[in-house]
Amino acid sequence: MGPTSKHGWNGAGGQSGNELFDSLRLELRRGCLVLAVLAQLRAEHYGYTLRKALAESGLEIEESTLYPLLRRLETQGLLNSEWREEEKRNKRFYRLSGEGERILGLLLAEWTGINQSLGRIVEGLKSNTGKER
Amino acid sequence: MELLERYLQAVGAHLPARGRADTLAELRANLEAEIEGREEELGRPLTGAEVAQVLEAHGMPVLVAARYGPQHFLVGPQLFPLYWYTLKRSFPLVLAAYVVVQLVAAIVQSSSGQDLGQKIGTAAAHFPRVALTFWGVMTLGFAVFEYVQGRYVPKMTLPKWSVRDLPPLEPGQKKHSLASAVADLIVSALIVVWLLAVPNHPYLIIGPGAKMVHGMPFGLTPEWHVFYWQIVGLLILMLPLKAAMVLPSLRRVRGWLQLAINAMGILILVVMVQIRTFFVAGAEISAENLRSLAGINTGITFGFKIALAISVVKFLWDLWKEITAGQHRRAGYTAAVL
Repeated sequence: MGPTSKHGWNGAGGQSGNELFDSLRLELRRGCLVLAVLAQLRAEHYGYTLRKALAESGLEIEESTLYPLLRRLETQGLLNSEWREEEKRNKRFYRLSGEGERILGLLLAEWTGINQSLGRIVEGLKSNTGKER
Repeated sequence: MELLERYLQAVGAHLPARGRADTLAELRANLEAEIEGREEELGRPLTGAEVAQVLEAHGMPVLVAARYGPQHFLVGPQLFPLYWYTLKRSFPLVLAAYVVVQLVAAIVQSSSGQDLGQKIGTAAAHFPRVALTFWGVMTLGFAVFEYVQGRYVPKMTLPKWSVRDLPPLEPGQKKHSLASAVADLIVSALIVVWLLAVPNHPYLIIGPGAKMVHGMPFGLTPEWHVFYWQIVGLLILMLPLKAAMVLPSLRRVRGWLQLAINAMGILILVVMVQIRTFFVAGAEISAENLRSLAGINTGITFGFKIALAISVVKFLWDLWKEITAGQHRRAGYTAAVL
């Protein structure tokens, strides 16, 4: 798991700071993971190599989250899959479908827009804090 | 690899038959690759404990299987606000309808005050079952709707609405008037004094007409000696509560004080309902007057029963409002503090 808050305070509803952070972090990551998986599957992968590739890019994802996610994205028509033998073992390889390409383009544009807005907001916050000091 | 086989078997036990083999084959390939990857890193085969570690890190079989299935919910996130709103709005109506029906039935069917109390107690004990049935039926209805929409009927779309169609602002809560609270306290105290004086000074009831009462063919029932003190006692108990209503330091609990006063009022009505005979016949009463007297007694009792039913419903409604107002106040306070 990633970093967790060190604050020990209790927020609204009695949820501890760490729990709250974990739940918000999970929410934040959920959409990003789909984007990362779709982007990574512009090249063909099977489950294990995909997970490794994502981890090498700095995005750790649990197997029990990734493998069902692949199934769901395939059911939604965003991925194509094929069973093939590799190194004497049958493996299921995934790749982005035509529809997946289109959706990925739209999601990336959305993500870029959000990222830029957030950057502006956070930068504005930093410069305001600097002025106050 | 026995551990891997056992793990896959356990996951498979929780997967739906359709697609089970395919899911397990993919899971096996990925887990084998994971184990081989670790072996490559270490340059040796994994021990049993290490394989177990890999599998345990993958997750508990039942949870892993659940992630492969469709999302399980009875009422989905889109429909849930509507479901919750419907439950919240209809529950008080169910409660009110139940109270009215049970109360009327108990009053009509009961032969004595004790019998009435028993019937009300039985009805109250039965209510959780009624509430549970209502909740179950509502949930089932929404769950069926959730299931069929998108499959057999088009997905529900919210109707178009305009902010201009929203109901006008509700008038603010009636401000507590100190003058009316003081007046209420004084009047209540005077009523108690008056009631205490009546037994020794009967003319206080109907003034000079008291003399005429002596000529009437009927009089007050001797039971009044018992009920009189019960009523006076309850009225005296109301006085400190009414005095507390005047105190500014207790303004936060005025709603609950008013409810306690209303509850005392209901108890007085309960006492009145228990009095089956208000007037009894004198020695020289005619048959016709005797029939009229029975009618008068029945009529008065029936009137008090109706008043009791209405008061109980009103009390429950006020109680509900006070509880929900308290929740809103606490939520507002929490929001203000945070």
